[in-house]
Amino acid sequence: MTAVLLDRATRAAIEALEATDDIAFGARLLANTPTHEGRDPDLLRRWARTATEFGAALDPVATTARIVESDGGLARGLLARYTSRPVPTVELFTDTLALADELAGRLGWRHWYPAGSLRAAAIAHETVHEQLHHGPAKAALRRSLGHVVLRAGRHRLYGHVAGADEIAAHAHARAVCGLGRSPLLLTAALAAAAEAAEPPYGTRHGSPHASPHGRKK
Amino acid sequence: MGVVILLVMAAGVAAMLTRKLPTAFALVLLAVVIALLAGAPATGENSVLDTVLQEGAPTLAVTMIAILLGSWLGKLLDETGIAGTLVRKIVEFGGDRPVVVALGVLAVSTLVGTVTGSAPAAMLAGIVGIPAMIAVGIPKVTAAGTILMGIAAGMPFELPIWQFFSTALELPVDTVRGFMMKLFPFALAAAVLFVLVETRRRGVEHTWSLKSASAKPTSRRERLGDAPWYALLTPLVPLILALGLDVAILPSMLAGVLYALVTTTRPGGMNKRLLRTLYGGFEVAAAPIVLFVAIGILLAAVKLPGAVEALEPLVKAVSPQNPVLFVVVFTALVPLCLYRGPLNVYGLGAGIAGVLIAAGIYPAAAVLGLATSYNQVFGVSDPTSTQTVWSAQYAGVTPQQVMARTLPYVWAVALGGFCVTAATYL
Repeated sequence: MTAVLLDRATRAAIEALEATDDIAFGARLLANTPTHEGRDPDLLRRWARTATEFGAALDPVATTARIVESDGGLARGLLARYTSRPVPTVELFTDTLALADELAGRLGWRHWYPAGSLRAAAIAHETVHEQLHHGPAKAALRRSLGHVVLRAGRHRLYGHVAGADEIAAHAHARAVCGLGRSPLLLTAALAAAAEAAEPPYGTRHGSPHASPHGRKK
Repeated sequence: MGVVILLVMAAGVAAMLTRKLPTAFALVLLAVVIALLAGAPATGENSVLDTVLQEGAPTLAVTMIAILLGSWLGKLLDETGIAGTLVRKIVEFGGDRPVVVALGVLAVSTLVGTVTGSAPAAMLAGIVGIPAMIAVGIPKVTAAGTILMGIAAGMPFELPIWQFFSTALELPVDTVRGFMMKLFPFALAAAVLFVLVETRRRGVEHTWSLKSASAKPTSRRERLGDAPWYALLTPLVPLILALGLDVAILPSMLAGVLYALVTTTRPGGMNKRLLRTLYGGFEVAAAPIVLFVAIGILLAAVKLPGAVEALEPLVKAVSPQNPVLFVVVFTALVPLCLYRGPLNVYGLGAGIAGVLIAAGIYPAAAVLGLATSYNQVFGVSDPTSTQTVWSAQYAGVTPQQVMARTLPYVWAVALGGFCVTAATYL
């Protein structure tokens, strides 16, 4: 595992993250999700709050998914992943989780993120995706967000809010694992630390916005 | 001499494959060497300078203008938020069911693919479409593949491509359009099948990513509001005119440009937007236009009497005339259009098509069937083509992963195209 070495600027940037509240992190996640580019920041914040409350209120359920652990999360910029096929599986990336755990200790955030709690949070997080994918909770989340895309008399069609399920998953993980702050805070800190430590994660195949090599057609 | 020309062609392919030379430069060099080997004089009739370089370079001029107009229209679709709005609506209405979102994005990609090709098409549909699909749980390779399969499904209606094949193979646009109509059902069926099968096979994928909590990068796209619903019909305008009303290709595309403009832009801002997007279109179209200059030069070289005379017996000996054998052989050769291979119609494949026609081995319409069928494969799966590279990188996977996943589907499209060709033209 890579030790967390933070220069002064990175450490200051991470400490500044503490001042951002958990709902703001949710709104930031939504703002990063395509289809929300032109949305009012207040609306994003309202959706983030609703999704947070929805996720926190979800009944804890034990995952039925297979749990596997592997390395290589840092290279891909991932902490955990849920895949529904061939069998529902929650993949935990041990290197990223270990680094996040170490970072929490180094930043003095242990009271928010007790040792080992992130592994449980990752499982709880992915369980929500499993729940939203297979169960009726997805429709309930959509209704609670209240994004009306079509109205005909008394009838309303509620639209999908991309990214809301992710916020719900984080809020659920925080609630059931007893974390002091949303896992999104630690995720943001980890992203800043990883970016400062080495070439940007997730760029193994080049930047998404890099000019593609090759030529026409 | 024919064997020497083939060896030179093989060397050209090797240079393109190994990226020693950019495709356009390699094609021009090949053309000059082929002309010299064919005994062409330096100047005069059927010469290197006058026939191959001077007359060959502008052969595909109309195609180049069509490409430029397509790029211009593509820029307008982007700047006016039309493409983004289409994807946003799809996600809002169908986001609960990833397969519905993927089918919707596929439809948008198909529409975009009718307007413009290559990386600009992938970007138009993919900049919002790929992350939107990933956000609703579509796995990355499937997301990239969906964009590419969609663009390829629109390719049979891409007007610049009609123009290209019409000029390069010296066929009336009607003939090209007629074959494209027959190819379209295969391309569409493969694209829909890709989405249905791959979303079923791979299910959904949700990731807890480090990027999710990063500070939002500022983007010009933030300022884009939704385009009005009637502006979303823009991609259909050139199609309806060219396909339904038999209007020529360039005016049809210009009508698309005008429609996008008047439905999205206030009169006071029209001039500025038109110029800005036109100049942006030049930038996008620069690479393909250079390639079409080179292809025109190569076509002129392989059509020289000396080249035809040298290549005819060789090509005739290996070209199957039996319809069944035709389908089997050319289907087996599909991989040769990948990795800038010799059957790539935007490379040496154009020259081979020229030889097949000039030597009278197949009717021009049959060569059209071969070239367009290979184009369907190349347009999706070639890991060196710009749209494949862009889509894969943007989704965060490798072009090779996309190739492996999409190739069976587009190979089947090519098979369908060859069957139609053999049944219709042989």
